[in-house]
Amino acid sequence: MSLDNFKTNIGEWLQGTGPDADLVISSRVRLARNLANSPFTSVSTEDQSKAVSERIETALQRLDGGLPLHVMELEKKDVVERQVLVERHLVSHDLATGSGSRLVAFDEAESFSVMGNEEDHLRLQVMKSGYQLEEAWSQMCPLERSLEEDLQFAFHSKYGYLTACPTNVGTGLRASVMLHLPAMVITGQIEEMTRAATKIHLAVRGLFGEGTEAQGDFFQMSNQRTLGLSEEQVLENIASVLPNIIVYERKLRDELLERRRERIEDRIGRAFGILSHARVITSKEALERLSLVRLGVAMGFLDDVSMNQINRMFLHSQPGHLQSLVGEPLTTEDRDRKRADLLRSILGDTSGEGFSSS
Amino acid sequence: MICEKCQKNEVSVHLTDIVNNTKREYHLCRDCAQSHGVSIQAQLQNFKNLTVPEFYASPQEKSETANSPEGLGDCPDCGMSYSNFRKEGKFGCSRDYDLFSGSLDDLFEKIHAADQHKGRSPARYHEQMVQSLEVERLRESLTHAVSDEDFEQAAAIRDQLRILESGS
Repeated sequence: MSLDNFKTNIGEWLQGTGPDADLVISSRVRLARNLANSPFTSVSTEDQSKAVSERIETALQRLDGGLPLHVMELEKKDVVERQVLVERHLVSHDLATGSGSRLVAFDEAESFSVMGNEEDHLRLQVMKSGYQLEEAWSQMCPLERSLEEDLQFAFHSKYGYLTACPTNVGTGLRASVMLHLPAMVITGQIEEMTRAATKIHLAVRGLFGEGTEAQGDFFQMSNQRTLGLSEEQVLENIASVLPNIIVYERKLRDELLERRRERIEDRIGRAFGILSHARVITSKEALERLSLVRLGVAMGFLDDVSMNQINRMFLHSQPGHLQSLVGEPLTTEDRDRKRADLLRSILGDTSGEGFSSS
Repeated sequence: MICEKCQKNEVSVHLTDIVNNTKREYHLCRDCAQSHGVSIQAQLQNFKNLTVPEFYASPQEKSETANSPEGLGDCPDCGMSYSNFRKEGKFGCSRDYDLFSGSLDDLFEKIHAADQHKGRSPARYHEQMVQSLEVERLRESLTHAVSDEDFEQAAAIRDQLRILESGS
């Protein structure tokens, strides 16, 4: 597959379907694994890294489960292509900007992906739309088992799966859900939620995970502990609090409607007006307005906009996607212009594919 | 300067000992220093492995690091030293986990509030993992039995543990 498909597609995890998709954008499980008898990536020589890449590639070709995978060598991709892969959550920022032999493999739906020679030799990921953490884990298990048969993973009878960073050792599992919680932000309840989550060893972060700031009311919640808990316990911990968060956010939305209906409708209407008519818009502003429009759709104010359209705007208005769409590197100012063009075209034309750059 | 012990060789080690606030200086030759229990090589090795913050650490903190894998030197597989691991926060290879195991339990307790894996394992480890989980379960019930003063039960569990552990 060429990256051309990325210009009009969105990954399955962004379809806006699945349980509680109005609040839970996506669910993700990630496993960190290393090959036994091979030094970890950071201390590997170039030859060792190449050998690791080759072994991973061979194992992926033999992978049970019948998923045809697209395999890409990161060092052969240009800056914009790598940025696009980061924005699609197929590779991490570190893998995109690193050096040496690195690869990414993913299926057509972009549901399953593998990073090779990230901080760990292997990072396996399954992403699903809506709240489907259990389903994501069920999809992951046989894939991991199949790879394990081919590649012996570094394992310790006391410490479990061995990883480069002590924060991943044990299960190597990071389970996360991406949440849209605008009512908690508007009412100032988000800090409280974050504190409560931290108490039960769950971390709340920004859109792109570790080290990123929360933008546009989007948050990623994930387990912190990877040692001393089984994979099922990790998923249960998240499952034990997520319903409360969902119920609370919905309750706050209802209260907002009851008490401040006019103000909320006004803010959503203005956000929609700006997205559908602006001529220049920064990514930060676009994200904030999109968050409000998303809230409007979830609350039933904006009938002629779909979740799918919102998610498409959300993904395709990011810098890498914009530049890949135009086919050339753009300055920040040019991007802000092209972003406004794109948003107008998606909101004006429901098929969304008629992007004109006039 | 002549060694104060053998009164023969040239002095190569100046030692300062402080016991009960009384300072005592020794001037020894290499041989006498070694028989005195001072390995120059070991001292140098410790010195070389110290990171800057450790170098300035209080004597009490220093004695803690002296018991850590600091003195172990570098990993023969990946070249990682313990101090480098603490500085970078990343392991270099699987072997580091065994090499630094003396101080990993504390570190993992801080990060994960646990030091024993309880999740999945590769097929080749299944039998071993089932057994080690069983041993841990028995140890826990042994503690309970003892605190409940159910010594008959405790003895039975102890026997089970012995059988399991001798078999491994």
